[in-house]
Amino acid sequence: MDKRTNQLKTVAYNLLSVAIVALLWTMFAAWQNSPYFPSPAEIWKAFVGLATKGDIEGVSLSAHIWASLVRIFAGFVAACVLGIPLGLAMGLWPKLYNRTRAILEPIRFIPPIAWIPMAIVLLVGFGRYVFLIWLGAFFPIFITTLLSVTRVNPVHVNVAKVFGAKRSYIIRKIVIPSVLPDIATGMRVGLGIAWMCIVAAEMIGGEMVGIGRLILKYAELLRMGEIIVGMLVIGIIGFIMNEIFIMVENRLFRWRSEVSID
Amino acid sequence: MHDHLLDVNITKRFGNMDVLTDIRFQVEPNEFLVIVGPTGCGKTTLSNVLSGIDTATVGAVKMHGDKVDPHKHNLSYIFQEPSCIPWYTMLEDVTMGPIIKGQSKEQAEARGREVIKLVGLEGYEDYYPRQISGGMKQRVAIARAYATNPDLLIMDEPFGHLDAQTRYLMQIEIMRIWEQDRKTVVFITNNIEEAVYLASRILVLSKLPATIKCEYVIDIPRPRDLTDPKFLKIRAEITRECEIVE
Repeated sequence: MDKRTNQLKTVAYNLLSVAIVALLWTMFAAWQNSPYFPSPAEIWKAFVGLATKGDIEGVSLSAHIWASLVRIFAGFVAACVLGIPLGLAMGLWPKLYNRTRAILEPIRFIPPIAWIPMAIVLLVGFGRYVFLIWLGAFFPIFITTLLSVTRVNPVHVNVAKVFGAKRSYIIRKIVIPSVLPDIATGMRVGLGIAWMCIVAAEMIGGEMVGIGRLILKYAELLRMGEIIVGMLVIGIIGFIMNEIFIMVENRLFRWRSEVSID
Repeated sequence: MHDHLLDVNITKRFGNMDVLTDIRFQVEPNEFLVIVGPTGCGKTTLSNVLSGIDTATVGAVKMHGDKVDPHKHNLSYIFQEPSCIPWYTMLEDVTMGPIIKGQSKEQAEARGREVIKLVGLEGYEDYYPRQISGGMKQRVAIARAYATNPDLLIMDEPFGHLDAQTRYLMQIEIMRIWEQDRKTVVFITNNIEEAVYLASRILVLSKLPATIKCEYVIDIPRPRDLTDPKFLKIRAEITRECEIVE
């Protein structure tokens, strides 16, 4: 069987899984028969309503999505810009990490939600969103980068060393290419966590727009249909971004993929 | 003047464990010196010190009279472990040495194609290590080592992880390459047959802490026949010295 049919088959099976879950959900909703457990049909209706007429304040669904995307992107980029160089530096000079461990490691375990009061006191507006998302995305990116440096194969370093390569050459040509795939994985995990922080971030951001804010608005009204639409939108956008990320990774790191001579 | 290419006089300790004790020998230009020793006797440590990757605790390795230094001396090393760089194509891999030594990309590529041809891998220049077999990867390592035209070529059990058949073919191959382009080689192995097949001279190491037990000059004409009585006699003798019962 060729690769293309295999891919199509995988897609078909995934669609089938979605259909089965939707069916089970419909059955469960019918059995529950409660306004707090909407059926897929009711969720669809809520979606259509949000997409065409906007929410109770007239803000369109696309405006909500766009606002969240911008915030996630800003927080995620900030996490990459700080996490990757810092991880590399601390990986290359382990003393730097060993001597600051007592500061870095405890911060890692403080949940972003616990930072909310601090963020409210210290920051305003857009800064609050970026800060909370950055908090979530930073550590996976930083830690994977840091660890990836220690996993560089010493033989590859020695190959360059024996030819008399300078340290800068070894870092550029051996260390960086060998850690890039790990950094990409860290970024992918970081992006996932960035999405997980969006509701917390939009809880305190002040503006009435954003997917997280949409969920909070309808939570006050106990309108589960719209809430689930918000949840699904987060899930689906996260999923799409992740898939795009994996595609880019496979393209960039083609040397890693298994290709046989034929 | 210094008549020897390499003048070795070293002792190496890790903490309070003696690994190499008072190892003294010389390497002459264009010889194929094989150092044979039992498993775990510090052979890789010796190669690392010879190449300047690691330093001796006492004494030094001198090349043309100066302490060996990869930044100064032109040496190559074939590692025991697979060492192809996963993100380099074969051509990029073998041009790495010449480029580090300061050659232009064009010069390095021309030399790269030459050495790929030397090891019989022409046509595979754009392949990644993932796409080629273990034996081919070791040929790439040989090509890469030859690419810089080294004054000294160190090989640390280069065929150790290959299967018996590939290993045998690689021994013939390395001899063919060496006959074409006689570099000075220090070849380290635990395989006595391999040692007698390849060497112009053999040094036998003892168990840990390693010292040099004895030396053999092998003057059997090449290509050598593994079943030649003279071959078998030397092989048996060294086996006894190594305290391995066959």
